Amino acid sequence: MGTTMVRMENVRKNFGDLEVLKDISFELKQGEVVAVIGPSGSGKSTLLRCLNRLETIDGGSIAIEGEYLVRDAKYVEEAEARRICGKMGMVFQQFNLFPHMTVLDNLLEAPMIVKKMARADILPIAEELLRKIGLEEKRDVYPTKLSGGQQQRVAIARALAMNPDIMLFDEPTSSLDPELTGEVLKTMRNLAEENMTMIVVTHEMGFAREVAKRVIFMADGVVQEEGPPEELFETPKNERLKMFLNSILR
Amino acid sequence: MEKILSMIYPLAEGSVVTLQLFAVTLLLSLPLGLLLALARISKIKPLSKTVELYNWVMRGSPLMLQLLFVYFALPSFGILLPDVAAAVLAFVLNYAAYFAEIFRAGIQSIQKGQYEAARALGFTYVQTMRRIIVPQMIKRVLPPVGNETITLVKDTSLVYVLAMNDLLRAARTIVQREFDMTPFFIAAVFYLAMTFIVTRVFNWLEKHYARYDE
Repeated sequence: MGTTMVRMENVRKNFGDLEVLKDISFELKQGEVVAVIGPSGSGKSTLLRCLNRLETIDGGSIAIEGEYLVRDAKYVEEAEARRICGKMGMVFQQFNLFPHMTVLDNLLEAPMIVKKMARADILPIAEELLRKIGLEEKRDVYPTKLSGGQQQRVAIARALAMNPDIMLFDEPTSSLDPELTGEVLKTMRNLAEENMTMIVVTHEMGFAREVAKRVIFMADGVVQEEGPPEELFETPKNERLKMFLNSILR
Repeated sequence: MEKILSMIYPLAEGSVVTLQLFAVTLLLSLPLGLLLALARISKIKPLSKTVELYNWVMRGSPLMLQLLFVYFALPSFGILLPDVAAAVLAFVLNYAAYFAEIFRAGIQSIQKGQYEAARALGFTYVQTMRRIIVPQMIKRVLPPVGNETITLVKDTSLVYVLAMNDLLRAARTIVQREFDMTPFFIAAVFYLAMTFIVTRVFNWLEKHYARYDE
């Protein structure tokens, strides 16, 4: 298989006395789509947030595309960490678009401010991204005028405007009305078909089953079972996973 | 009528002093207030604590006392300031503390998700503040900042204890000379005109920022 994009080694994370991640290790190859599932409080969102240091880890190592972001809980210096994390884009449950900027400006902002790109250079890329998500006619609209599904698609485009190698999705459809999840999942599916490396923390079992090449089931801060979706969903071995699948597929 | 017209000129002159003091104070205390607010929310404890103490002292003691201190007490420490500079200094130091607390509350009201989105996109802390947080903060603090600005128009009249010929002092001088209360009424009209303009400016700003919701 291809190059290793993300490697976590024995990652530990505590919130006070609570151990949310206990000795997590995993690897992600180029072009792989991994779904992380599990009950709430299992640590799956924390796992994702540790990758781009929205949370700092208390033990273990994380390497992105072969470069250590943190080694034995010691982080590289700030500018270096920012550069390494720049290879990853992130999409949040609550979208977190910038409400004071139009849709187009949301896409232009980071490339212009962080990468110091000229507006003329990023503009065609942003317009192409808006066309891809089918929202080119909304370019001059402010985000709150859009539906949740549209906002989330803009959030995906905003992350893609930074040209990341890896996309992190933190429950991207969890705050959407059921009839709006489809359009977001379709955008993500298109991205997967373009061979984007993706980690998706999700409750959408359909998506995990159809799009993910590998599913990771987490509970109590531990990876309880992982494997191809058909194996995980059809012949689960772990007791916690069996219980979890029973409770959601019932 | 002619009498009123003869009073208008010195009162207009006094208004210029009032307006200058108002404008310079506003121009200096707003950015200073923002810097203080950022220092106040800083993770550097000594800095944050120092600003907290500063804000308490400036907001917790009378502005009049601070004016008199700068004007009369500083010279005894060998610091001699011209009248206008002394007044401006006292006003700026005082109003910056009020603006700082308003800005701090505004900054802290912005959702955590905005910081996280900026961080995930690679923004530094300074870029996040400048491009994402502070612009959104401005919309939220407009009403309280408008209040403070109107208060400032009227607070400028405190300089009448100093030897500055502001609007109120100009009015009082005529009243005492002519035993006629009319200048007080004219002065009130002048103050109302100024606060009316300030109110309109802030209404316009609020409308401008209403182009987006949160």
